[in-house]
Amino acid sequence: MTNEARATRRALLQAALAAPVLAACGGVSTSGTGGAGSVNFLSTQFTPVEERQRFEKILADKVTSAKVGYNPVDNATFATTLRTQVEAGKVQVNLVGGLHGDLAPLGDKLMDLDDLAGSLTDRGFAADLIELGKLGGTTAKYIPWMQATYMMAVNKKALQWLPSGADVQKLTYDQFLSWMTAAKAGNGGKPVFGLGAGPKGLYHRFFQGFLLPSFTGGQITTFRSADAVTAWEYMKELWAQTAPASTNYDFVQEPLQRGEVLVGFDHVARLATAPKDKPDEWLMVPAPSGPKGLGYMLVIAGLGIPKGAPDADKAKEVIRTLTTPPVQTEVLRQNAFFPVVKGDLPGDLPAAIGLEAKAVAAQQSASNAIVSLPPVGLGSKDGEVSQIFKDTFKAICLDGKAVKATLDAQATKLNAILDEAKVACWKPDPAGSPCRAA
Amino acid sequence: MRRHRFGLQLACVAITLFFGVPLYLIALAAFSSRESLDRFPLPLLPTDLSAETITTFLGSTGVVGGYLNSLMVGLSTVVLALVIGVPAGYALARHAFRGRDPYQLFLLLTRALPIVVLSVPLARIFLQTGLYDTTYAVTLLHTALALPTTVLITSAVFVGVPREHEEAAQVFGASPARAFARVVLPQALPGIAAVAMFTFVLSWNEVLGATILTLNQRTLPAHVLTTLSDSPLAYRFAGGLALILPAIVFVAVMRRYLLNMWGTTLR
Repeated sequence: MTNEARATRRALLQAALAAPVLAACGGVSTSGTGGAGSVNFLSTQFTPVEERQRFEKILADKVTSAKVGYNPVDNATFATTLRTQVEAGKVQVNLVGGLHGDLAPLGDKLMDLDDLAGSLTDRGFAADLIELGKLGGTTAKYIPWMQATYMMAVNKKALQWLPSGADVQKLTYDQFLSWMTAAKAGNGGKPVFGLGAGPKGLYHRFFQGFLLPSFTGGQITTFRSADAVTAWEYMKELWAQTAPASTNYDFVQEPLQRGEVLVGFDHVARLATAPKDKPDEWLMVPAPSGPKGLGYMLVIAGLGIPKGAPDADKAKEVIRTLTTPPVQTEVLRQNAFFPVVKGDLPGDLPAAIGLEAKAVAAQQSASNAIVSLPPVGLGSKDGEVSQIFKDTFKAICLDGKAVKATLDAQATKLNAILDEAKVACWKPDPAGSPCRAA
Repeated sequence: MRRHRFGLQLACVAITLFFGVPLYLIALAAFSSRESLDRFPLPLLPTDLSAETITTFLGSTGVVGGYLNSLMVGLSTVVLALVIGVPAGYALARHAFRGRDPYQLFLLLTRALPIVVLSVPLARIFLQTGLYDTTYAVTLLHTALALPTTVLITSAVFVGVPREHEEAAQVFGASPARAFARVVLPQALPGIAAVAMFTFVLSWNEVLGATILTLNQRTLPAHVLTTLSDSPLAYRFAGGLALILPAIVFVAVMRRYLLNMWGTTLR
């Protein structure tokens, strides 16, 4: 090795050793803020790279009252950070945003927002949403922020196999199954339906909020009922017509875009890019209906302020701005989360979002709709309950185990988790405490 | 003899490929356009190059800041862990004292606790002392995590340095400190370099503790991990490449000190 090379390497090492000394400031900001008076916004939403960038731009453009640093984290970190800060009495987060299920277990760490809610009556939040924001108490704990749901994206190529007499906008589960069966046969034995059953996929929401409520009218209480057995028998048949690679799909928009599957079920934000390039070739349709009705899951996100947060007034100002109709529309336009405030949607929405908006409206206004919520109040147990549904799917559909025996075994596990959590049932199960599988 | 050499070469090539091919594939995917990633079969040669995803990723808020924080934390951890760990390792290697074996076992206990269990109480203490959300807090945690291995590996290295060399230096008039610095340390350098790499990579990869101890001043993995795991495939490749490159550079720089480690003798 030449001396010169040795010298540069030594210089590099010396520079490396000097770096810690230079780092006397305690770190570089990674959220775009850090100065005094800025609002620290901790959230479980908009974690993907592009969604985050677009939301940061909305914050920078529309929120003029304060500089907002946006920190998206996973829900476990969200709960831990909020808990430790409030319990230590040194709160550094000014504003929190999360799904109803993220915020519900942290109700005692959140400030009462009745005064703010009182000043926002002109926003026209639905009464249901305001009630949810009270987290079972009497005072407002969070202000509705945005909502979303799940639906199906359909490539028009798949319509050629649609059974006669079936309306793609008003499918029943039976019609859907015979459609997918015909499509697989017509497509040379290659399934055309994709479900987000990957490691990060949201397929458990399909069982919790769509399949089971449509067949049983409940989510937890009816977990091992005779209706639930029918539902899972159905799922087994549907899985036989589903692309086996679904166990790799996290975002169903990706296989749809690749043309690997033609029909997909997922969260609206995870379907949005599928029809982006060629909106004319796509349909967005409501979920099918079952014997009990059209079960669909409502995803609600809310904004709250931690107890003891500094600059609570600034945070309230940010909430005011985020709930104005123009900002709500902008969030829909950019990130496919739907407004919670009253107001007509503009006609110039991006084509993909426009398609979704129609399907959302159709799903919500269906006469036989059964609304369900993601698990409420389970906190860190949320993942465990979802895992029960994933395990049930794996046992019945992938491993081919007997339906009734699997449901009995999983119901025992489910009840063990729920008995520990002692929470009241959430929609669509009848409110009653404590919630468990009958 | 010739056949033996050929086998050796083959083994070297196989091992290089084992580590090199994934690096090549991730780099290729990071610099491909999003459309080409959707193609089937996936081209294995750079046919459709595009820096779009990687520039979007690198340009997103906090990635550069996170890089700097990670470097600061990683290098500070290496320095701090060596400053504390090398003397401790030397003492363990050279001096027989009562309770030495239980002490060695006790050292490993910090690693027996999950980081989450450690970091939540730490977050409270750091919040109260004002260290929360600084790189110092993360450095302290990482040093605590790295110390057991630093101490145990360096002590094993010092055992390998003959005591006679040190005594000879002292016979010729060197003070114990000088004998250590001039005679023992140079011979132990390869081992210490290995420890430094190990510590740096440990700090670079640690996510959970760093996420809980910081808010606005995160290390790179803590800053992007949630983001990446929820992002489309193209960004995971871009982020993955951005995350492994600095560790590779660090290992490349430290490699020189490793060369002697498994050589014929410790010079």
